[in-house]
This record gives sequence, structure tokens and C-alpha cells, in this order.
Amino acid sequence: MAFSVFGDMFLVLLQMICVIMVAAYLITRTTSFTRVLDGIFTWKGQAVLTLLFGALSIYGTESGITILGATANVRDLGPMVGGLACGPVVGLGAGLIGAAYRFSLGGFTAVPCATATILAGLFGGAIFLAAGRRFIGMHGAVLFAVGMEAFHMGITLLLCRPFEQALEVVEGVALPMIIANATGVFLFAFIIGNLITERQTKTERDIYLSELERKKAELRIAHDIQMSFLPDRLPEVPGFELAALSVPAKEVGGDFYDAIPLPGGRTALVIADVAGKGVPAALFMALSRTVLRANALVPRSARDAVREANMLIADDAKSGMFVTLFYAVADPANKTLTYVNAGHNPPLLFRSGGDRPVGLKGTGIILGVMPEAEYGEETISLKSGDLVLLYTDGITEAINPDEEQFGEERLIETVTGCLDRPSAEIVDRVRDAVMAFSGDEPQFDDLTLMVLRVV
Amino acid sequence: MSGHVEITGRRAGTVDIVVVKGRLDAGSSEKAEEQINRVLDAGGRSLLVNLCDLDYISSSGLRVLLAALKRLKKDGGMLRIACAQPQILEVFTMAGFHRIFSLFPDEAAALAGFATET
Repeated sequence: MAFSVFGDMFLVLLQMICVIMVAAYLITRTTSFTRVLDGIFTWKGQAVLTLLFGALSIYGTESGITILGATANVRDLGPMVGGLACGPVVGLGAGLIGAAYRFSLGGFTAVPCATATILAGLFGGAIFLAAGRRFIGMHGAVLFAVGMEAFHMGITLLLCRPFEQALEVVEGVALPMIIANATGVFLFAFIIGNLITERQTKTERDIYLSELERKKAELRIAHDIQMSFLPDRLPEVPGFELAALSVPAKEVGGDFYDAIPLPGGRTALVIADVAGKGVPAALFMALSRTVLRANALVPRSARDAVREANMLIADDAKSGMFVTLFYAVADPANKTLTYVNAGHNPPLLFRSGGDRPVGLKGTGIILGVMPEAEYGEETISLKSGDLVLLYTDGITEAINPDEEQFGEERLIETVTGCLDRPSAEIVDRVRDAVMAFSGDEPQFDDLTLMVLRVV
Repeated sequence: MSGHVEITGRRAGTVDIVVVKGRLDAGSSEKAEEQINRVLDAGGRSLLVNLCDLDYISSSGLRVLLAALKRLKKDGGMLRIACAQPQILEVFTMAGFHRIFSLFPDEAAALAGFATET
């Protein structure tokens, strides 16, 4: 017989656990519940939760197993969880519903049972408040359930007379009730815990995605700024043939080039590389380009134009920003090129009929570092067929999948192989050679080059 | 790729030493910047950057050194560079950096300099 009693009990318990799991899942997925998790307490939400946990309490009474006239049940579960997870209002409300139902059934233990159910909700709510208006977590919740049911047994012994009968009931139901309620609270706590983690992960993912979105937007803005400050097309340079190209890297640097027509048929040529990335570098590039343009147009020597521009730029250079610059004035009347090289990698001068090109080396410090810096200038005479190749280090530092650099040698080879071609074609050839060399390897820096050929 | 760069830090008395080996280019300079900023954020005011085994430096590498120099100058600190290789010195010279940085042939000489000035 004992076997059959335990078999029935096992089945009932299993059934109870299934119902509690489904109830826990459904309740925790309601909007009312998730709003409470977010700390939003509305009367309507609390009323809904009170009814749900109250209904669970009634189910707990109904599903109980009767032992010697008293019933082992999970009536306290709804109010306990309601209080623990949703605060004293829901806990007390659910407790009152469960207690009223239990009281209406009457019986030997009606008063202590009803009292315990109300207190279960109230205590749960108090713990919620004590934990800082949030769910205390699985361990605390299960511990509370055990303590609460022990307390329930205590008041039964205290209030029910004759004491011997009360003791007999308690001896019969104490252990199953403690275990059943603790299991129920454990199931709830487990599901609530999962829900909280799930929502946190989602929040973190949302933050990560919006951060990614912001970065992408920043890159796009930087790219747009950079492109809008490159000339749409180059001016006609009398006596010369000029072509240029700039390919921004994915994480844009701040390369730029410019050709500014000056009085007397002369033209100022600019190629520059801002050290830095993203929007700050793009803005610095815009500033530098504008300052250079303004200074190029004032009638003065090349070195004075650069010195003045440097003074203005250095005042604005924050966090180590600087720009390497090659500034040259091409004069078709005298067939000369007067240049200032402020820390830019030396442009290559290919003499018509000569073999090795020569580098147009530095004549001063990079722009933006020393406001009072002085610059030197050099003048070279040009002959028909001479060619000047201006470029940024993105060309020579382009890497292939083996992490080798394109380098100056390959650049010289490429240009030497097509010296007699028009400037625009030489630009294309260099670009093609760099692209073919680097393959699919992502490039870290902009590629910019300019070819000036003496007609 | 993040560049073949190896950055280590240590201390000698009050001097923070950052050793940069390999290549300091657009791909790897962020790492160097982070390391230097960590030292400066922790209150380091005497910084020695050891470039003895640096093979290559690009403009982004120069920017990292310049940013550190500017920050230290503003806070009354000091930056020294030890034993740059000829090819590194060439880049420094091209950029004009030899005029704004204190360059020393080796780490001991750079450290001695700190001792006399602080």
C-alpha cells in the first residue's frame, strides 16, 4: 500500500511541477512581468500579476495531496514568487486571493494556512524591497521557500488545537511541503534568472550593434569629408600635363592633393598626408587644405606660403596631429619647379633620357608640429619630357598577402616602364600595379599619386 | 594584419621604458599608442622609448611619438628616444623630428640624461 501512496504522490508531484513550469514560463513572458523587471510598476500591470499569482495559489490548494485530513500543497508558491519577483503589492494581493480561497474551504488548519499564505506574499515582497527592488536570485529564493514553509508549520502548531492533532498533521506534511514549495520556487527562479540573462545579453548586443553602426557612420562621414575636399577635376596647367588619383583606405587616413592656378600661368601643386584616422584626420585635412589654398593665393614665395600655413595649422594641431606636405610651384615661362618639402616622402624626378630618378628631399619639418618653423625651398629647371611623380606612403607601404611592401623599387620600375605615356596613363599603371601587388589584402592607408610631365 | 610589432614596458627607477620592436606602421601604431597612454595615464612623466630593434616606422608611428611628446611637454614631463637605427633616423630627419626629439645612441645614455635633469 505504501508503494501505491508514494506512487500517487510522485505522479501528483510530477504533474504539479509540469503545471508550475508552464505557469512560470507564461507569467514571465507577459509584458506586465518584463515591465516589472525593468523597474516599471503600473497599477494595471500589478493587478494582472496579482491575479496570475493568485490563480497559481488557488491551483496550489486544488492540486494538493490530502494526508490525514491536512493537505500537502504549493498554495504559498504563487504569493512567494509574486512577492519575491514583483514586490509587496503583488505578493500580498496574491496571498489574499489564495488565503480567501483556502479559508472558504474550512477545515482544521484553515486559519494558520490562510495566515501563512498572506504572510508568504508579504515576506516575499519585503525581501524584494530589501534586495533593492529586485529579484533576490535563485539561492536566496529557494532558501526563503524552505524557511517560509517551516514557518508555516510553526504557526500551525501554534494556532491549532488540540496540539497532538496539529503535530500529527505537521509530521505528515512538513517534509513534502517544504520540498514541493522549494522545488516550485527553484523552477520559477531558474526561469526568471534565464530571462534576466537573456535580456542583458540582448541589451549588450544592441549596444554593440549601435556602436558598430556609429563607427560605420563615422567612417562614411570621414570619407565624405575627404572626398569633398579633393578637386573634382584638375585645372589645365599650361606647359605641363598633370594627372592625379586618390584612393581612400577603408579606415580613411587624410591624404589630399591640389592644383591651384596662380597668376602668371604658374600653378601650385600640393600633395599631403595627414597622420591619423577617421573624422579628426579628415577635418584636419580639410583645415590644412583650406589654409594652404588661402596662402598659395597670396603673392609670396613658396617657402613663405608654407611657413605661414604651418603657423596657422600648428595652432590647431591637437593630440599629435601633423601633415606631411610637398608644395611646388610649376612655372611654365621659366620651365622651373620651386618646391618645399615638409617631411613628405621625396617625390621622384625622372629626367628625360636619364636612368635613375632623383628624390626631391626634405627642406623642412612636417606641418603642425613647430609653429615657428622655417622652411627652405629648392628650384629645379625642367626640360621637355621630364616627369615628376608625387605620391604618399600609402603607395610604397601597400602590402601583399605575404606582408611585403610594394616599395620604392617597384614604383620606379613601374614608372620607368611607361615614361613616354601620357600622365593619366602613368597614374593608371601605377594604381594597377599596386592593386595587382596587394591583391585582396586590406590596405591601411590611402593611396595618392600625382604625375606632372613637362610637355 | 597588425604588423609584426612587439611592445614591452618596464621601469628603471622613475623612468618608464617602452621598447618597440619590429614595424611601427598604420596597422600597429594603435597598439603602441595604447601602451604609451597606459604609462602616461598611470602618471609616468619620464618616458624612454627604446627603438633599438625597430626596423621600420611610418607616419602613423611618428604621430604616436609626437602625441606622447606633446602630452608630456604639456604636463612637464620628458620623452627620450634611444638608439634609432639608420633607416629610422632617416625617416626622423625627413620629417624634421630630429629637431624636436631628444635622441640618444643607446638606452644607458638616455637613462643617464634623465638622471642629470631630474
